[in-house]
Amino acid sequence: MIGFPKILHQLHLFEEEGVPYAADLDKARVVELSAVMIDILKLAETQTDDAIVETLSTSYQEDDISEAFERFAELEREGLLFNRGEDLEWSLATESKWRKLLVAIPGINVDSFFDIETLSAGTNMALAHMIQHLTKYADLHFMGSRNRKITDGVYEVDIGIGDLVRLRSKIAETYYGILTLHQEQDRWLLPLYQYPEFPPILVQNHAPRGHGGQAINSMLRHYAAMRDYDGFTAPSDYVRDFYSQYVWDPSFFNTLPNGVDATLFKPMEKMVAKREIAAEVGDDRIEEVRTVGYLSRVQSEKGASVYLKLAELNPHLIFLIAGPNMGRYASRKLPDNLVYVGFHPRERLPLIYNAFDVYCFMSMSGEETFGLTVLEAMACGVPPIVPNFDGVPSVVGDAGLVADAENFNHDVATLVSYPCPVDFSEKINLLLDDAETWLAFSQRARKRAVAFTWDKTARRIVQLFEGLHQKKKLVNPNRLLNVFTSTQPSEDDEQQRLKYKSLVLSMNAHYERCLMRDAAYPMSVEDGVALSILKNHTTREAEAILAALIPDETQARTTLKRVRGLIDGTA
Amino acid sequence: MVSRTRYRLKQHHKFEQDDQKYVADLETGDIVQINDIEWEILSRYESQTHHQIVEALKKEYKLTAIFDGIERLERLGKQGLLLHPAVENVGGFCRGVSSRSSHPYTDRKPKLLVPFHFTKEKSALDYITNLNRYQSLTHLAEFAELETLAFQEEKKEDAQDLNEVRVRNISSTKSDPLMPPWYAMDGYDGILLLSQFLTDDLPYYRIRDVPIVHCIEGDQRLQHVLLRTLLTLYAFQSSKDTLVVKASWMKAWLAELGVPVENVRVIPDGIDIVEPTGDKALAKQHTAAIFGKSMFVEKPAVGLISGFEPNRGAAWISEFARTHPHLAIFVYDAMLAQHYQHPPENVIIFSVDDEETRAVLPVFFQALDLVCFPAMPGTPLPIVLEAMAFGAPCIAMTKYGMPPEVIGAGVAVEAEWDNFGNFHVPMVKLSETINQWLHPSDARTQCQGFAKEIVQRYTRKNAAQALIQVFEEGFQRRTDNFRTPRALFPPIFCRRYEPDTGTLRSSVYRLGTNRYDHLETALAEVLTEGHTPAEVVSVFKHFQRDSSTPVCEITRAGNGFPNNNTETNPK
Repeated sequence: MIGFPKILHQLHLFEEEGVPYAADLDKARVVELSAVMIDILKLAETQTDDAIVETLSTSYQEDDISEAFERFAELEREGLLFNRGEDLEWSLATESKWRKLLVAIPGINVDSFFDIETLSAGTNMALAHMIQHLTKYADLHFMGSRNRKITDGVYEVDIGIGDLVRLRSKIAETYYGILTLHQEQDRWLLPLYQYPEFPPILVQNHAPRGHGGQAINSMLRHYAAMRDYDGFTAPSDYVRDFYSQYVWDPSFFNTLPNGVDATLFKPMEKMVAKREIAAEVGDDRIEEVRTVGYLSRVQSEKGASVYLKLAELNPHLIFLIAGPNMGRYASRKLPDNLVYVGFHPRERLPLIYNAFDVYCFMSMSGEETFGLTVLEAMACGVPPIVPNFDGVPSVVGDAGLVADAENFNHDVATLVSYPCPVDFSEKINLLLDDAETWLAFSQRARKRAVAFTWDKTARRIVQLFEGLHQKKKLVNPNRLLNVFTSTQPSEDDEQQRLKYKSLVLSMNAHYERCLMRDAAYPMSVEDGVALSILKNHTTREAEAILAALIPDETQARTTLKRVRGLIDGTA
Repeated sequence: MVSRTRYRLKQHHKFEQDDQKYVADLETGDIVQINDIEWEILSRYESQTHHQIVEALKKEYKLTAIFDGIERLERLGKQGLLLHPAVENVGGFCRGVSSRSSHPYTDRKPKLLVPFHFTKEKSALDYITNLNRYQSLTHLAEFAELETLAFQEEKKEDAQDLNEVRVRNISSTKSDPLMPPWYAMDGYDGILLLSQFLTDDLPYYRIRDVPIVHCIEGDQRLQHVLLRTLLTLYAFQSSKDTLVVKASWMKAWLAELGVPVENVRVIPDGIDIVEPTGDKALAKQHTAAIFGKSMFVEKPAVGLISGFEPNRGAAWISEFARTHPHLAIFVYDAMLAQHYQHPPENVIIFSVDDEETRAVLPVFFQALDLVCFPAMPGTPLPIVLEAMAFGAPCIAMTKYGMPPEVIGAGVAVEAEWDNFGNFHVPMVKLSETINQWLHPSDARTQCQGFAKEIVQRYTRKNAAQALIQVFEEGFQRRTDNFRTPRALFPPIFCRRYEPDTGTLRSSVYRLGTNRYDHLETALAEVLTEGHTPAEVVSVFKHFQRDSSTPVCEITRAGNGFPNNNTETNPK
């Protein structure tokens, strides 16, 4: 039995050549039905299983009815015909002027975004904050497997990855944009760029490189496939600058700084914090000696090995480590002045930060574009020291010190940099030796941190979508026709070999005449290839092709610019 | 330029719900939301041609919107939705363009469009080619229905039917955004292009499915643009189209330049068989009298059917005349007749410029004892054949061996010429050959008989039939266009970062298989969607850095772009 009554999807029932069908408009699928199934559907929203069987028993065999029930159960498992979850039509209908964003992050439990304690990775934490603040500017519809309201302005909708392409018109009508996350192993997003119908897609990117070049390559694939009105966000300008080495159009990379909850993360009486931690771990030195702090997973990539060296170099200071566990370092003989303070829930983090006199951020991994903990430490008035590497210095600004780091020109394993322990050590002492200097940095840190708000981040997302909509207006499907042809050998060519050229026709694929006078104008084969490719491929794909065909990059870029101009100018 | 794939509508159901229009593909079970225009197009797609669809909808909708609609539906078709690529079983004209409207044609004349500016004066000769176009069309009309176009802007009296060629009045003017292809898109089995000026006729190549036969004259006056014209036309042709040249040496010349000649046919213009007006002695007397040159009675008369590049031709003719003072030389040359005022004493230069001068030509030809001609562009083959009509054997000065058209009726003397008009023939050898052939011999007698037979073969009727045959073949080849495979795994051209070296190279990533592929393969594939195989080869040849290496099967080519020859040339 199936559990009628049930709310039905928006259905259109019809017959074609004697066969009854239901068109499920919510899922954009057609389902072949039988006569009895049609009759059951007519009763499905009002009657129970038993009542339906009874009503129909006079017209149909019992076997046919139970077979129909089985078939309906199958269809329901496929997500068809029956509304899974609440009927959300009201929310779509009543607030139609209010912008809606479709949030597509497969593989992550939606609820975890609203229960931050369940999150550990900085990336997801940042997302969760961003999402909460975004609800002030747009309704968020998370792709999922049922319809329900999660909280005000936040819904889960019954749209799976497999539904996206079929539902694209509906998605285009309903959503202002699609917000998603770049995950290099994901394969679902890349094919979607083929469909012009989808609203702008904004892809959040947190890891510009690493993983043996896989992150860069995945990004380069997205960059190539994206429509003109899609884009990436990255937490710092660093990513845009980083990708400028690899792409011709860095405008696809938009800075979207993270924020910090400055009411949670705020300076407190340092001695109180230190005393509490000291009591907790049973080490009085924390109260008595100046402290250096580390808050992260205790791994090589996060700079744990270097941090250990710092402790050895500075026996006069206490080095605190907060993290899930000591990992592989647990079995080592650690310096005596290194104290593990354990793993703490989010609301206790301000206390931990406040127990640090300076905060060391020493990540060496190719994924650091921002350093959310740096901002949190700063919000607590703790001056940070960060390596001169990737996006982190831009977060710190003049509110902390930047220590030397050996940056690698390309990844080695998962590392891309080596922070210099001696310089870190000097900078730590520089801050701690002079109370006045420390105070000045502490105040600047707090002042700078409060400028990074999640509200700004949320507004920036909306602004970026607006920008993408502007770009969408500039898109034109102009397809100028061209041919490739041989051309007469020149008189001084002894071998009399044919040369080649392209001809651009004064006509586009719509038979419109877009150029004056001649029916055909000569252009170089290079220009012609660009023109041909741009008929069905993106400018970024043409970039890849021209880069291969034209050895001189400046010339290649000029070619692309010229042909793009011709296409847009004759649209 | 390759015709686009034609599609057949699948089993579907259109419906409206909540002011939205949908169509359900009953074969795949997908539902697609469509707009009003697409709704209308779908209603007509099965039974009407594109032309009819646009004609029917253009009052109500903007043209570009109609094209956009067709394009979107066919894009869906490419993805396997709503439309199937049609692979039609075509047999001949009777199932031609109108096949979808299921007209029961079984045996009818093919309907050909001849978009040429015919003058009302039926006897007038084309000022470029000195041909009477109307006359050759008269013969063609026996085998095909002919229609030409008259535009509104042209004078009313021009728009009356010629006897054999129907005139279709076109209500739009040429400056209309709808270019000629527009009104030629529908209902024709073939298009016969006669213009020697590229700009006039190129737009017709945009018409899908209809075979185009473009006739190129190897005329002297066109020589400076001839090669360019041929190469360009060649680029425009798809497999259904044919280039018709008027002499075998034109085809040999193209082959020598490296142009594939599969779609080049040789159809010599037919000649009107001229009945002898009397005996040779009498003809010689008449000729002598007409030109006031007794040499035509006193000396052996040799005809030189010229066609040289004028400047060099004059020099050559005067050298020829000086070397052969014992001959009376009759030169047929359209340009020199006009400009070469004072040829040597033993030379008469003549050309036909109206029906009256044409009428006396047989007299001169009958007076000839030998016909000499250089087998090169510019030499009018029909004149050669007409000159041979009275039994004069020929001496062909040739680069490509004895021209098939005159085999058996003479002898060849090896000559050289290049694309810039330089013509060289060993004068001593030529003199020996001429002197030898002027003496009565068995061989000469045999050749005289054969010359007459040859002339019987090249009739206007045969030429017309051969032309129809070429259309028929083009129609068969048309089916090839439907077999263009579509990319199952769409390529995304992107750059690829190599972590070992930290460098980028261009590559291609395939959706579906989710892996990188050879750039060349994908580029060839993408270019093939909009270009002929010959064009694609042009592109690849252009980019082949070392031109001595042949372009092999580009789709099987190796990695990367041709920096490395070992990779680009499959073993």
